[in-house]
Amino acid sequence: MWNYEKKLQYPVKIKNPNPKLAQVIISQLGGPDGELAASMRYLHQRYAMPYAEITGILTDVGTEELAHLEMVAAILYQLTRNLNEEQIRDGGFETYFVDHTTGIYPIAASGVPFDMKYVGIKGDLLADIHEDMAAEQKARVTYDNILRLTDDPDVRDPIKFLREREIVHYQRFGDALRIAQDHMDSRNYYVSNPSFDMGCSQKS
Amino acid sequence: MENNCGKALLNKLRMIDFSIYETVLFLDAYPEDNEALAYYHKLLEQRKALMSEYETKVGPLTIYGNTCGNEWKWIKQPWPWEYDAN
Repeated sequence: MWNYEKKLQYPVKIKNPNPKLAQVIISQLGGPDGELAASMRYLHQRYAMPYAEITGILTDVGTEELAHLEMVAAILYQLTRNLNEEQIRDGGFETYFVDHTTGIYPIAASGVPFDMKYVGIKGDLLADIHEDMAAEQKARVTYDNILRLTDDPDVRDPIKFLREREIVHYQRFGDALRIAQDHMDSRNYYVSNPSFDMGCSQKS
Repeated sequence: MENNCGKALLNKLRMIDFSIYETVLFLDAYPEDNEALAYYHKLLEQRKALMSEYETKVGPLTIYGNTCGNEWKWIKQPWPWEYDAN
Protein backbone atom coordinates (compact mmCIF):
# COMPACT_ATOMS: atom_id res chain seq x y z
CA MET A 1 0.00 0.00 0.00
CA TRP A 2 0.98 3.63 -0.11
CA ASN A 3 0.96 6.34 2.54
CA TYR A 4 0.41 9.98 1.73
CA GLU A 5 2.71 12.67 3.11
CA LYS A 6 1.16 16.10 3.17
CA LYS A 7 4.09 17.90 1.56
CA LEU A 8 5.57 18.42 -1.90
CA GLN A 9 8.92 16.74 -2.45
CA TYR A 10 10.31 20.13 -3.53
CA PRO A 11 8.54 23.48 -3.02
CA VAL A 12 6.37 25.05 -5.75
CA LYS A 13 5.66 28.74 -5.21
CA ILE A 14 4.68 30.60 -8.38
CA LYS A 15 3.74 34.27 -8.02
CA ASN A 16 2.45 35.00 -11.53
CA PRO A 17 -0.30 32.93 -13.17
CA ASN A 18 0.44 31.99 -16.79
CA PRO A 19 -2.19 29.74 -18.40
CA LYS A 20 -0.32 29.62 -21.70
CA LEU A 21 2.73 28.11 -20.01
CA ALA A 22 0.50 25.69 -18.09
CA GLN A 23 -0.73 24.30 -21.41
CA VAL A 24 2.84 23.32 -22.28
CA ILE A 25 3.87 21.99 -18.87
CA ILE A 26 0.72 19.82 -18.71
CA SER A 27 2.54 17.35 -21.00
CA GLN A 28 4.60 16.29 -18.01
CA LEU A 29 1.33 15.38 -16.28
CA GLY A 30 -0.51 13.47 -19.00
CA GLY A 31 1.81 13.43 -22.01
CA PRO A 32 3.80 10.55 -23.56
CA ASP A 33 6.83 11.05 -21.31
CA GLY A 34 5.03 12.56 -18.33
CA GLU A 35 5.00 11.61 -14.67
CA LEU A 36 1.72 9.70 -14.84
CA ALA A 37 3.14 7.46 -17.57
CA ALA A 38 6.38 7.08 -15.59
CA SER A 39 4.68 5.99 -12.36
CA MET A 40 2.32 3.58 -14.18
CA ARG A 41 5.23 2.11 -16.17
CA TYR A 42 7.48 1.32 -13.20
CA LEU A 43 4.85 0.32 -10.69
CA HIS A 44 3.32 -2.19 -13.12
CA GLN A 45 6.60 -3.56 -14.46
CA ARG A 46 7.52 -4.66 -10.92
CA TYR A 47 5.46 -7.85 -10.87
CA ALA A 48 7.41 -9.62 -13.62
CA MET A 49 10.81 -8.53 -12.35
CA PRO A 50 12.84 -11.55 -11.16
CA TYR A 51 15.62 -9.80 -9.20
CA ALA A 52 15.00 -8.05 -5.87
CA GLU A 53 17.37 -5.13 -6.50
CA ILE A 54 15.49 -4.20 -9.68
CA THR A 55 12.07 -4.69 -8.08
CA GLY A 56 13.26 -2.31 -5.35
CA ILE A 57 14.41 0.29 -7.87
CA LEU A 58 11.06 0.08 -9.74
CA THR A 59 9.07 0.38 -6.49
CA ASP A 60 11.00 3.34 -5.15
CA VAL A 61 11.45 5.23 -8.43
CA GLY A 62 7.77 4.57 -9.25
CA THR A 63 6.76 5.99 -5.88
CA GLU A 64 8.93 9.07 -6.40
CA GLU A 65 7.19 9.58 -9.76
CA LEU A 66 3.88 9.87 -7.89
CA ALA A 67 5.45 12.70 -5.89
CA HIS A 68 6.53 14.31 -9.18
CA LEU A 69 3.00 13.92 -10.55
CA GLU A 70 1.85 15.99 -7.58
CA MET A 71 4.57 18.61 -8.13
CA VAL A 72 3.62 19.05 -11.81
CA ALA A 73 -0.05 19.32 -10.81
CA ALA A 74 0.92 21.95 -8.20
CA ILE A 75 2.73 23.95 -10.91
CA LEU A 76 -0.37 23.76 -13.15
CA TYR A 77 -2.69 24.63 -10.28
CA GLN A 78 -0.69 27.72 -9.35
CA LEU A 79 -0.20 28.85 -12.98
CA THR A 80 -3.98 28.81 -13.52
CA ARG A 81 -5.23 30.30 -10.27
CA ASN A 82 -7.26 33.55 -10.01
CA LEU A 83 -7.66 33.90 -13.79
CA ASN A 84 -9.94 36.54 -15.25
CA GLU A 85 -11.78 36.05 -18.55
CA GLU A 86 -9.24 38.11 -20.47
CA GLN A 87 -6.33 35.94 -19.27
CA ILE A 88 -8.25 32.82 -20.28
CA ARG A 89 -8.87 34.16 -23.81
CA ASP A 90 -5.50 35.83 -24.41
CA GLY A 91 -3.48 32.91 -23.13
CA GLY A 92 -5.03 30.50 -25.63
CA PHE A 93 -6.34 28.67 -22.58
CA GLU A 94 -9.98 28.72 -23.71
CA THR A 95 -9.86 25.31 -25.42
CA TYR A 96 -8.83 23.65 -22.14
CA PHE A 97 -11.06 25.89 -20.04
CA VAL A 98 -14.23 25.03 -21.94
CA ASP A 99 -13.93 21.34 -21.01
CA HIS A 100 -12.13 21.36 -17.66
CA THR A 101 -12.40 24.94 -16.29
CA THR A 102 -9.31 25.08 -14.04
CA GLY A 103 -9.51 21.47 -12.89
CA ILE A 104 -6.34 19.43 -13.39
CA TYR A 105 -6.88 16.87 -16.18
CA PRO A 106 -3.96 14.76 -17.47
CA ILE A 107 -3.48 15.49 -21.17
CA ALA A 108 -0.52 16.07 -23.49
CA ALA A 109 0.33 19.62 -24.57
CA SER A 110 -1.32 18.82 -27.91
CA GLY A 111 -4.60 18.14 -26.07
CA VAL A 112 -4.60 14.33 -26.35
CA PRO A 113 -5.82 12.78 -23.07
CA PHE A 114 -3.48 10.50 -21.14
CA ASP A 115 -3.16 7.08 -22.74
CA MET A 116 -1.66 3.85 -21.36
CA LYS A 117 -0.23 3.39 -24.86
CA TYR A 118 2.59 5.61 -23.59
CA VAL A 119 3.60 2.84 -21.22
CA GLY A 120 5.64 -0.18 -22.30
CA ILE A 121 5.39 -3.35 -20.21
CA LYS A 122 6.88 -6.24 -22.17
CA GLY A 123 7.38 -8.76 -19.34
CA ASP A 124 11.00 -9.24 -20.42
CA LEU A 125 13.54 -7.65 -18.13
CA LEU A 126 16.00 -6.48 -20.80
CA ALA A 127 13.22 -4.93 -22.88
CA ASP A 128 11.59 -3.32 -19.83
CA ILE A 129 14.80 -1.85 -18.39
CA HIS A 130 15.77 -0.39 -21.76
CA GLU A 131 12.26 1.09 -21.98
CA ASP A 132 12.81 2.71 -18.58
CA MET A 133 16.22 4.15 -19.46
CA ALA A 134 14.78 5.64 -22.67
CA ALA A 135 11.76 6.96 -20.77
CA GLU A 136 13.96 8.86 -18.31
CA GLN A 137 15.93 10.43 -21.16
CA LYS A 138 12.73 11.41 -22.99
CA ALA A 139 11.33 13.02 -19.84
CA ARG A 140 14.65 14.87 -19.39
CA VAL A 141 14.33 16.25 -22.94
CA THR A 142 10.75 17.38 -22.28
CA TYR A 143 11.93 19.30 -19.19
CA ASP A 144 14.81 20.76 -21.25
CA ASN A 145 12.24 21.93 -23.82
CA ILE A 146 10.04 23.45 -21.08
CA LEU A 147 13.09 25.34 -19.78
CA ARG A 148 13.60 26.76 -23.28
CA LEU A 149 10.05 28.16 -23.19
CA THR A 150 10.03 30.07 -19.90
CA ASP A 151 12.25 32.52 -18.07
CA ASP A 152 10.05 32.72 -14.95
CA PRO A 153 12.42 31.71 -12.12
CA ASP A 154 9.49 30.51 -9.97
CA VAL A 155 8.64 27.93 -12.66
CA ARG A 156 12.21 27.10 -13.71
CA ASP A 157 13.28 26.18 -10.18
CA PRO A 158 10.95 23.17 -9.63
CA ILE A 159 11.27 22.17 -13.32
CA LYS A 160 15.07 22.02 -12.93
CA PHE A 161 14.64 19.84 -9.85
CA LEU A 162 12.39 17.45 -11.80
CA ARG A 163 14.84 17.40 -14.71
CA GLU A 164 17.70 16.41 -12.42
CA ARG A 165 15.67 13.56 -10.98
CA GLU A 166 15.27 12.10 -14.48
CA ILE A 167 19.05 11.91 -14.74
CA VAL A 168 19.39 10.21 -11.33
CA HIS A 169 16.67 7.70 -12.24
CA TYR A 170 18.44 7.02 -15.54
CA GLN A 171 21.60 6.18 -13.55
CA ARG A 172 19.70 3.78 -11.28
CA PHE A 173 18.10 2.04 -14.28
CA GLY A 174 21.62 1.77 -15.69
CA ASP A 175 22.53 -0.05 -12.46
CA ALA A 176 19.44 -2.22 -12.96
CA LEU A 177 20.66 -3.23 -16.43
CA ARG A 178 24.08 -4.16 -15.01
CA ILE A 179 22.45 -6.18 -12.19
CA ALA A 180 20.22 -7.99 -14.72
CA GLN A 181 23.18 -8.85 -16.93
CA ASP A 182 25.22 -10.04 -13.92
CA HIS A 183 22.50 -12.60 -13.27
CA MET A 184 22.28 -13.71 -16.89
CA ASP A 185 24.40 -15.85 -19.18
CA SER A 186 26.98 -13.49 -20.69
CA ARG A 187 27.59 -15.90 -23.59
CA ASN A 188 24.00 -15.40 -24.70
CA TYR A 189 21.77 -12.93 -22.85
CA TYR A 190 18.86 -14.09 -24.98
CA VAL A 191 19.02 -17.77 -24.06
CA SER A 192 15.99 -17.23 -21.80
CA ASN A 193 13.71 -14.51 -20.47
CA PRO A 194 14.21 -14.62 -16.67
CA SER A 195 10.99 -12.64 -16.23
CA PHE A 196 9.11 -15.68 -17.62
CA ASP A 197 11.26 -18.81 -17.83
CA MET A 198 11.27 -20.11 -14.27
CA GLY A 199 14.52 -21.67 -13.13
CA CYS A 200 16.44 -20.21 -16.04
CA SER A 201 17.31 -17.01 -14.23
CA GLN A 202 20.68 -18.18 -12.94
CA LYS A 203 23.98 -18.23 -14.78
CA SER A 204 24.69 -21.67 -16.19
CA MET B 1 5.24 33.23 13.54
CA GLU B 2 4.09 29.64 13.66
CA ASN B 3 3.78 29.69 9.89
CA ASN B 4 7.40 30.74 9.27
CA CYS B 5 8.65 28.30 11.85
CA GLY B 6 6.56 25.61 10.17
CA LYS B 7 8.01 26.36 6.73
CA ALA B 8 11.58 26.27 8.01
CA LEU B 9 10.90 22.90 9.62
CA LEU B 10 9.20 21.65 6.45
CA ASN B 11 12.21 22.63 4.35
CA LYS B 12 14.59 20.89 6.76
CA LEU B 13 12.45 17.79 6.52
CA ARG B 14 12.43 18.01 2.72
CA MET B 15 16.21 18.14 2.68
CA ILE B 16 16.57 15.12 4.97
CA ASP B 17 13.94 13.21 2.98
CA PHE B 18 15.73 14.04 -0.26
CA SER B 19 18.97 12.61 1.13
CA ILE B 20 17.14 9.54 2.38
CA TYR B 21 15.49 8.97 -0.99
CA GLU B 22 18.80 9.26 -2.84
CA THR B 23 20.34 6.78 -0.39
CA VAL B 24 17.41 4.38 -0.73
CA LEU B 25 17.67 4.32 -4.54
CA PHE B 26 21.42 3.76 -4.21
CA LEU B 27 20.97 0.97 -1.65
CA ASP B 28 18.46 -0.80 -3.92
CA ALA B 29 21.22 -1.09 -6.50
CA TYR B 30 24.13 -1.55 -4.04
CA PRO B 31 22.61 -3.37 -1.02
CA GLU B 32 26.04 -4.49 0.23
CA ASP B 33 27.39 -0.93 0.60
CA ASN B 34 27.91 -0.54 4.36
CA GLU B 35 28.89 3.11 4.15
CA ALA B 36 25.58 3.95 2.44
CA LEU B 37 23.69 1.87 4.98
CA ALA B 38 25.33 3.71 7.90
CA TYR B 39 24.48 7.03 6.23
CA TYR B 40 20.87 5.89 5.82
CA HIS B 41 20.63 5.12 9.56
CA LYS B 42 22.15 8.47 10.50
CA LEU B 43 19.61 10.29 8.31
CA LEU B 44 16.76 8.23 9.73
CA GLU B 45 17.56 9.41 13.26
CA GLN B 46 17.48 13.04 12.09
CA ARG B 47 14.18 12.48 10.31
CA LYS B 48 12.59 10.92 13.38
CA ALA B 49 13.42 13.96 15.52
CA LEU B 50 12.28 16.43 12.83
CA MET B 51 9.01 14.57 12.17
CA SER B 52 8.09 14.62 15.82
CA GLU B 53 8.96 18.33 16.12
CA TYR B 54 6.95 19.18 12.98
CA GLU B 55 3.89 17.18 13.97
CA THR B 56 3.89 18.67 17.47
CA LYS B 57 4.41 22.29 16.39
CA VAL B 58 2.66 22.44 13.01
CA GLY B 59 0.38 19.49 12.35
CA PRO B 60 0.14 15.98 10.97
CA LEU B 61 2.24 15.07 7.96
CA THR B 62 0.55 11.69 7.56
CA ILE B 63 -2.74 10.25 8.76
CA TYR B 64 -0.81 8.60 11.60
CA GLY B 65 0.42 11.95 12.90
CA ASN B 66 -2.69 13.58 14.34
CA THR B 67 -1.02 13.81 17.75
CA CYS B 68 -3.57 16.32 19.06
CA GLY B 69 -6.15 14.35 21.08
CA ASN B 70 -9.12 16.68 20.83
CA GLU B 71 -8.85 18.14 17.32
CA TRP B 72 -8.81 16.72 13.75
CA LYS B 73 -5.88 18.77 12.42
CA TRP B 74 -5.16 16.66 9.32
CA ILE B 75 -7.40 18.83 7.12
CA LYS B 76 -6.62 22.16 8.79
CA GLN B 77 -3.23 23.08 7.28
CA PRO B 78 -3.11 24.16 3.60
CA TRP B 79 -2.75 21.34 1.05
CA PRO B 80 0.73 20.89 -0.43
CA TRP B 81 -0.10 22.32 -3.88
CA GLU B 82 -1.29 25.64 -2.48
CA TYR B 83 0.93 28.72 -2.77
CA ASP B 84 0.79 29.34 0.97
CA ALA B 85 1.92 25.82 1.84
CA ASN B 86 5.32 26.34 0.20
